[in-house]
Amino acid sequence: MLESVLLSSHLPSSNLPYLFAAFAVSWVVLFGYLFYVNRRQHEMRKEIARLETMLEQSQEHTDGQ
Amino acid sequence: MNGLLRPVLVIVWKDLLLELRSKDLVVSVLVFGLLVVLVFNFALNNAPGRSEELAPGILWAAFAFAAVMAMNRAFVRDQEQGGLEGLLISPVSRDAIFLGKALTSLVFMLLVEAALLPVYAVMLNFSALSFNLVLTIFLGTLGFAVVGTLFSAMAVQTRSRELMLPVLFFPVVLPVIIASVEASTRAVGGETFIGLGRWLPLIGVFDAVFLVICPWIFAFVVEE
Amino acid sequence: MASSQSLTSPSSRMPSAKTVMAAITGVMMVINLYLIFMVAPTDSVLGHVQRVFYFHVPIAIMSFLAFFVVFAGSVMYLITRSPKWDAVAHAAAEVGVVLVTLALITGIIWARPVWNTWWTWEPRLTTTLILWLIYVAYLMVRSYAPTQSKGAIYAAVMGIVGFVDVPIVYYSVVWWRSIHPSPVVGPFAQADALDGTMALVLLYSFITFVFFFVYMVMERMSLRSMEEALGRIRFTLRRSGR
Repeated sequence: MLESVLLSSHLPSSNLPYLFAAFAVSWVVLFGYLFYVNRRQHEMRKEIARLETMLEQSQEHTDGQ
Repeated sequence: MNGLLRPVLVIVWKDLLLELRSKDLVVSVLVFGLLVVLVFNFALNNAPGRSEELAPGILWAAFAFAAVMAMNRAFVRDQEQGGLEGLLISPVSRDAIFLGKALTSLVFMLLVEAALLPVYAVMLNFSALSFNLVLTIFLGTLGFAVVGTLFSAMAVQTRSRELMLPVLFFPVVLPVIIASVEASTRAVGGETFIGLGRWLPLIGVFDAVFLVICPWIFAFVVEE
Repeated sequence: MASSQSLTSPSSRMPSAKTVMAAITGVMMVINLYLIFMVAPTDSVLGHVQRVFYFHVPIAIMSFLAFFVVFAGSVMYLITRSPKWDAVAHAAAEVGVVLVTLALITGIIWARPVWNTWWTWEPRLTTTLILWLIYVAYLMVRSYAPTQSKGAIYAAVMGIVGFVDVPIVYYSVVWWRSIHPSPVVGPFAQADALDGTMALVLLYSFITFVFFFVYMVMERMSLRSMEEALGRIRFTLRRSGR
């Protein structure tokens, strides 16, 4: 009796939300991390470009003097 | 051997002497140890019949937190007054500095524990007169001292150093805590040395492994 | 702006190792999902939820391997002092923390229907939790250190000590568990047997995650090299008095 109750609560159909949750979390975490790293890379690239133009300008400036 | 032993003992003597002159660490750790018992007694509802089963856990929770508290201060004085630089310049090997610091912490903790143990035995109603219990406390504290000294040397240099040490320390010493609680439970229950099972060897292995690794790594931590 | 973009990232012109790796990983992951949901048979006892297994187990194994990489990188860094090794260890640790987090979460989701409890202080679960704590401490001590080179050394110390500690943690919990068995054990605690197809799908999934791991580490390492490049440019700018 108890076993049949236990089994019914673990029938394949009642387990589907767990399956969905596990894969949803996996995608969110994995791609969330990749997205975060990519966004940081993008910021870095923009900052590097900005500073490099600044550097070039300051060099031109000193060359001109 | 004499070349290593003498500087180690000199460092231990220096640190203990400094501590004995001010006594602020001893006093605060002792008071802290009593407070832990007070908190755990009510948090765990230590009813008369349960105290034999709860006492070792409370004991080790107190010792572990007290160890972090004491270890947090191990390098502070050296750091603040440039004593560590002096030690590093002096013709003493890094191994000796590490062993001296670890031995200081060990002696200090053992003194604190020796003072706390009779009080705990009375308050938590267990018998502390057991060679096995004393041996467990010694081995467990040795593990705390070795790992704690290494992490303390790092934590003292970081931002928010008081917070950094427990974050580094507790996950690593978890095996010591588990094994010490298990061994103490058996020792308090009157088991023989054999009855303690694998727990003392486990602490022994932990101590041995980190006694080999930590002095080597310590040299990197304190280098300029 | 647009012209300097190509100047600073010449690798964007040709397919870099990173892009190739991303493509391979993506294709492998699609095949992996097909295998998990279409090819692998439904478990006769557990039903569809058993398919979590094909993600959970490879991720968990991969996270332990990640920390072997951290350990090896840390030892090599302390011996050689080449920042390259520190970069490898740093990237592997960060990706490893992500993977351990995921292993813990999928493990909890797996435990609920299968073991009838969200959490149990079982040796593998507990060791994974400790692993997570140790390597979070690894990342923390790195970023809290006074200088970057000190941070690299402190992190390497934690990488070595933590890795050596993990087997001791595992055995202590195994022995502890043999004295304090958990009262809640689900009806399917023993339903771990795999048939041939399942084992092959699991193996394929593991290989996929090895590639995924390498790809994530590459991305993280290139982020770090950009941070270092930025630091150098800032240094030059400051010296030139701007």
